[in-house]
Amino acid sequence: MTDFDALLKRSFAEAPEPADDGFVVNVGHAVAKREAGLKVRSYMQYGAITIGAAAVSWGLYAIAGAFGQELMASVGLEVARAHAAVSTVPDAGAAAQGFIQSMGAGLTQILFVTAALAGGAVAYRATQD
Amino acid sequence: MASRGFTHLAEATEAALIIAAQAKDQAAFGELVKRRQGWARALLRRMCQSHAEADDLAQEAFIKAWDRLRDLETPAAFPGWFRRIAVTTFLMAKRRQKAVFEEIDDASPIASEDSTPEAAAGAKLDLERALARLSDAERLCVTLNHGEGLSHSEIVEITGLPLGTVKSHVLRGTDKLRRLLDPDA
Repeated sequence: MTDFDALLKRSFAEAPEPADDGFVVNVGHAVAKREAGLKVRSYMQYGAITIGAAAVSWGLYAIAGAFGQELMASVGLEVARAHAAVSTVPDAGAAAQGFIQSMGAGLTQILFVTAALAGGAVAYRATQD
Repeated sequence: MASRGFTHLAEATEAALIIAAQAKDQAAFGELVKRRQGWARALLRRMCQSHAEADDLAQEAFIKAWDRLRDLETPAAFPGWFRRIAVTTFLMAKRRQKAVFEEIDDASPIASEDSTPEAAAGAKLDLERALARLSDAERLCVTLNHGEGLSHSEIVEITGLPLGTVKSHVLRGTDKLRRLLDPDA
């Protein structure tokens, strides 16, 4: 850094700063005005959303009034058909039940062997220590 | 303006004021503006030709800071963060005025009749007047480099100007200031 660069830095550092001649008040007013504007805009947005939601609800209510009964009847019919189709396949249920029973029978032996192995491992570890 | 949690704003630390302002405490932000307005306005006055324009830009920068204060991660980063906002505000204003920053103005009126040794000696006391003799880009780069202590790469980051352009502006601007402020040079 040259002498002049140092002089320049010092000149910048020593240069007087402007006094607060109402600047802070002006910024405060501008900020307050901005916040008030944002608040009004937010209220307007809430109002618009409420009106929109009310319009959609009213529309759905009108549609439900016109087509609701017919729709519910169709749905009920479809559910009844599906239930009938499921209940006419007994073999699949029986096969699943047999598989679970055989698994249950074998599970006792599996657990017994696993416990024996774990106990043996623990005993072996204890003798090594 | 209501202040939350402060009995005496003047005694609060800057970090506490920033945290309160982030929670939209207008009084805390007002105190922050009060403490920082001198620095911010001086910075912008060095960059701008007119004090009125600089003060308008400073106000705009403080309002932007109020809007974006929640983006500030640590209160300690406030000076650098705000400086960036101030410089961006200045650059946007210059773009609105169609100022060209990338070009170096060779016809800068440094060698006019006003730059006699007598006038230069008088200018030694007036850094602001000397800065006014530089182009906008030179003034910006010299102010950030010598006034704010930023490196060339930091100026590149903050202004978006190419590194070579920043170096040229700093070099040429400093040289012009030397001729204006130091008559023996």
